[in-house]
Amino acid sequence: MGRQMTEMLKGTLEGIVLAILSARPAYGYEITTQLREQGFADIAEGTVYAILVRIERNGLVDVEKVPSEKGPPRKVYSLNGQGHEYLDEFFRTWSFLNERLEQLHQGGR
Amino acid sequence: MVAKWIGLVTGSLEQKKQYKQYNVRMDALPEPYGTAAKALQRYFMYNGGVVDGQTLLKMMSDFVELWERAAVDGTPVRVIVGADPVDFADTFTAAYAGKQWIDKERERLTRAINELADNEPQP
Repeated sequence: MGRQMTEMLKGTLEGIVLAILSARPAYGYEITTQLREQGFADIAEGTVYAILVRIERNGLVDVEKVPSEKGPPRKVYSLNGQGHEYLDEFFRTWSFLNERLEQLHQGGR
Repeated sequence: MVAKWIGLVTGSLEQKKQYKQYNVRMDALPEPYGTAAKALQRYFMYNGGVVDGQTLLKMMSDFVELWERAAVDGTPVRVIVGADPVDFADTFTAAYAGKQWIDKERERLTRAINELADNEPQP
């Protein structure tokens, strides 16, 4: 992953993870796999884990511990009401940024 | 810094117990996960900046759980920490930045500027 990609992803990965969770609850490994399949080939599982920790601490997700065959139980994250509100705001902000950048890309105004 | 951490996590008997459990779990990690986890832990001690014992214990327990999971799933170390382990470490600790020593200074700076700005004549 290029440096520019890494930097830009920093500001948006939280929103991306929340958007994935808005579709259905998931645990960390599933989210990382999904991101990798969608083209974020080099994304670290730890990075996603750190985001999950942060959104949990900020009260944007509910967490359920699901026993797994081996090892510690898996934490399944689901978006809660506050998370949905946050995600809506994220997309509004993103639309604004996207629009502005598109205009600049088209020749600048 | 290291001594301060230990002082904090030995704050209460319950916290002391949790800290002991954390160390047992860290020691039980198979290789290469044990070495990777300990290398990161060393870095946290210098750069973590968390001063509240309960938050610190929560961070430690989440951290060891991440490695226990990785060991069971057989996830390669590189896949966990990514290309830049320092960036991973900083992102991870930032999630627990509830109470940091720098917070007091941040408040002080904010207050100083607020007072100045409030007393400025309106344009």
